[in-house]
Amino acid sequence: MKNLRDKYCLVGVGETEYSRGSNRTTRALAVEAVRAAILDAGLTASDVDGMLDYQSGDSTLANHVAPDLGIRLNFYMDVMGGGSSTEALIGLAMGAIEAGMCNTLAIYRSMNGYSEFRIGGTGARAAQPVRGLDLAQVPFGMRSAGQNFAPTFLRHMYEYGTTSEQVAHVKVAHSKHASQNPKALLKDRVTVQDVVGSRWIVKPLHLLDCCLETDNATCLIVTTAERARDCRQRPVSIMGVAGRVSKPRLDFHWAHGPITRVAGYYAKDIVFGQAGIGPEDVDVTGSYDAFTFTTMLQLEEYGFCKKGEGGQYVSSGVIELGGRRPNNTAGGHLCEGYTHGMSMVIENVRQLRGTVDDYCPKAAEGVHTYDYAPGRCRQVKDAEIAMNLGWAMPPLGSALIMRR
Amino acid sequence: MAEYAKPLPEITAESRPFWEGCKRHQFLVQRCRACGARQHYPRGICAACWSDDLEWLPSAGRGTVYAFTVTYRTQARGFRDELPYVLAYVELEEGVQVLTNLVGGEPATLRIGMPVRVTFEDVSADVSIPRFTPA
Repeated sequence: MKNLRDKYCLVGVGETEYSRGSNRTTRALAVEAVRAAILDAGLTASDVDGMLDYQSGDSTLANHVAPDLGIRLNFYMDVMGGGSSTEALIGLAMGAIEAGMCNTLAIYRSMNGYSEFRIGGTGARAAQPVRGLDLAQVPFGMRSAGQNFAPTFLRHMYEYGTTSEQVAHVKVAHSKHASQNPKALLKDRVTVQDVVGSRWIVKPLHLLDCCLETDNATCLIVTTAERARDCRQRPVSIMGVAGRVSKPRLDFHWAHGPITRVAGYYAKDIVFGQAGIGPEDVDVTGSYDAFTFTTMLQLEEYGFCKKGEGGQYVSSGVIELGGRRPNNTAGGHLCEGYTHGMSMVIENVRQLRGTVDDYCPKAAEGVHTYDYAPGRCRQVKDAEIAMNLGWAMPPLGSALIMRR
Repeated sequence: MAEYAKPLPEITAESRPFWEGCKRHQFLVQRCRACGARQHYPRGICAACWSDDLEWLPSAGRGTVYAFTVTYRTQARGFRDELPYVLAYVELEEGVQVLTNLVGGEPATLRIGMPVRVTFEDVSADVSIPRFTPA
């Protein structure tokens, strides 16, 4: 496959407040996030001529967002999708520039994921007609992501001896990270006992194994390495990207290959092959935490530990700030807020710039204390390479490797 | 017949013979006459060799639990009233896996690998839903 390593950069990131009740339209939220990302890059409306966004019938399309910002587009697409779309659209943005269709793109996701369209068939989504794959699932009461993923989690426990306590460490680590993040919805640190003692939602998922439905919008700016040199921030180079890679028979993956295998099994060779590095070279990960288990399964599948040893890996301290390879240093979907993956790429861009927005007084200038006590610092010292592991469902995922 | 509160499957051209089999309390699996592959849920062509030449094989309705999950909280219509309920992937003796519910056993007693057999719930004049119960 073709390799565009280091030819494209992420130059701007931005987001709105994370809330559970924005009282604003997805249009207003998107406009705020896109403006913030363009300003972060030190660009203006006339510098951005491409736009990509993703949604699932729950958002405002680019044909309203771009005009609100006075942006004239040479290219745009509105894409259907949820988790794992972030990395895939970064790759498509590179492709659009490579094809000569435009020069600089804004990628956004805007959703009232708590107050309007909730995951799991509640809220406005409950009124939508049942179709497609749902036809085979809904008569049996399968509606939510948790129900869809849980058999994979249970089978992993059965085959490899993975325990609820081991996987609870993902929530513990992300809560530790969120305690350093002024933006996070949940800033309180939790214990393993808090997680395994919380009530069942969909076994083996406890309440605290599940992420937080959130209202928010987020944005990333992609351009060429050449143009990135003139932007305001230290550019972050894209070393490799794999977009929405799937297992065989995507709709009934559990019947065609081990149910414990996730899409990273197929994506890892693409993304590591482009980047020319291996898992041992990565300093920070952003493994998508729709649930505690999803973080564990992907870290394992991408080779950060051996298959089956994910439980030991995530409970070893390695994924916490101060550990060898912290994961989701902003607190992720479990604690910061749910963004369908965008926030995890935004966080890793800031990590590589060295300007994570923690409680250090001079964080914006890149001055950090590296004191990981609550309410202090969450910058990883000398982070050079970050990797995002995007998750849609067990058989579908994306990946992205970036360097400073 | 009491009114059935859960969602009904929308029967398509591809799945009609399967649901007609359920109505007769027979679980049918698609088999490709060209390459012998078996598949479930029903599709329009053989996903292995693209042949249109599919036939319907009656399953003995016996299998084992491959994986499952117990739902304690849901907004799914009709299912809210019977929490907790069990979703499972059952591996049939005929070699395909089926998304279904496990019924007739305490959730705490369910195990991966346990033998189960099909049972049909007649929910309307046209539809019977296949679920599985400990054998």
